[in-house]
Amino acid sequence: MNKKLQGLVLKNSDEIIRLWLRKVDQNHKKKLGQVAEVSDELFEGTNREFANVIFSMVENKGSTEELKTFSERLIQLGWPLSYLTDGMQVFRNVTVDYLLNQTEIVTKEDCIEVLHMVDDWIDPIIHHLVNEYSGNWENIVSLQKVALQELSAPLIPVVQGITIMPLIGTIDTERAKLIMENLLHGVTKHNAEVVLMDITGVPVVDTMVAHHIIQAAEAVRLIGATCILVGIRPEIAQTIVNLGINLERFPTKSSLKKGFEAALELTGRRIIDMDGSGDKIEELLETLSKE
Amino acid sequence: MRIPILKLHNYLLISIQIELDDQTAIQFQEDLLHKIHETGATGVVIDLTSVDVIDSFIAKVLGDVVSMSNLMGAKVVLTGIQPAVAMTLIDLGIHLKDVPTALNLEQGLIKLRQTLEE
Repeated sequence: MNKKLQGLVLKNSDEIIRLWLRKVDQNHKKKLGQVAEVSDELFEGTNREFANVIFSMVENKGSTEELKTFSERLIQLGWPLSYLTDGMQVFRNVTVDYLLNQTEIVTKEDCIEVLHMVDDWIDPIIHHLVNEYSGNWENIVSLQKVALQELSAPLIPVVQGITIMPLIGTIDTERAKLIMENLLHGVTKHNAEVVLMDITGVPVVDTMVAHHIIQAAEAVRLIGATCILVGIRPEIAQTIVNLGINLERFPTKSSLKKGFEAALELTGRRIIDMDGSGDKIEELLETLSKE
Repeated sequence: MRIPILKLHNYLLISIQIELDDQTAIQFQEDLLHKIHETGATGVVIDLTSVDVIDSFIAKVLGDVVSMSNLMGAKVVLTGIQPAVAMTLIDLGIHLKDVPTALNLEQGLIKLRQTLEE
């Protein structure tokens, strides 16, 4: 029975492919058109290739080499997984319909056997395709995670004794932990007396984020440095006060520039103009006051 | 096991290089207070660079030592707390609020001199 049906399907592959193509064409052209710009020829060609892959899978079960190259190419082209899974569903329907029409089926058992057999052809293919796609996605996600981690907590030593940590984007618990680790190790490594934590790029400061920032600042104090929180925007200041968060335990400044000046002061330095224009103004003021 | 306490002019220097257990910590507390009494030191630097683990009890003892020494007229600075130790302390909710800290021994001595001059 099994062999007979397989033979029947293979013999009439052209007919099945024709039916399948018609259905696939109706179903997916619209859907795919939204995802990627696909020319008619490419769509036709891919459909034909897909059909060939399916039939070669039916013919010699288990040979996944063709399927693998095919799915890899589709992944590279960025075709959606739904194109393949929907295609397989349609193929299942078409094949079952065709077989049930062609063979004289008398008993329930025969019918079930046909269904089972078609399932046996199709399920491994779907399984393989889904695995390939999800593997690819997982790969991308892990790569992006690494990239994000690299960007998430940079520490920049600007001058002797002063380092800056610019923070951009939302802070969650995992990132907060990373921030604290980087901060503390950076402080000991660079021998920093003052650390400026710049939160200009942090869109939302809620109790959780504030808690993490306070913890990091406290830890910095414990290892013997000072942490200045800079880049507090008006709306952030409003939220912080409205939420009743107490940030008074360590210094805060509105901009990195002001924070840097404060840091210089803490380390016993200041910026002076080389051409002495500051002095000139002072002299001018002095002469004015004399008059 | 006793922790050596070194005298340098008006200051006392302590470098803790062993794993502190409760007994040693208590012993150290007593020794330091006696030493302050003996020498009349005005500043104390406790260097924790080689301490990898501080539990809540040791943290409490250290905090106590600082307040006790302050009572006896000696300012204390803790120096060289390791990042990992700082993180554990913060996680445990120990903030050592009134304890001055510094990055290393050198900075600690500078800080001590500054606070004593004020």
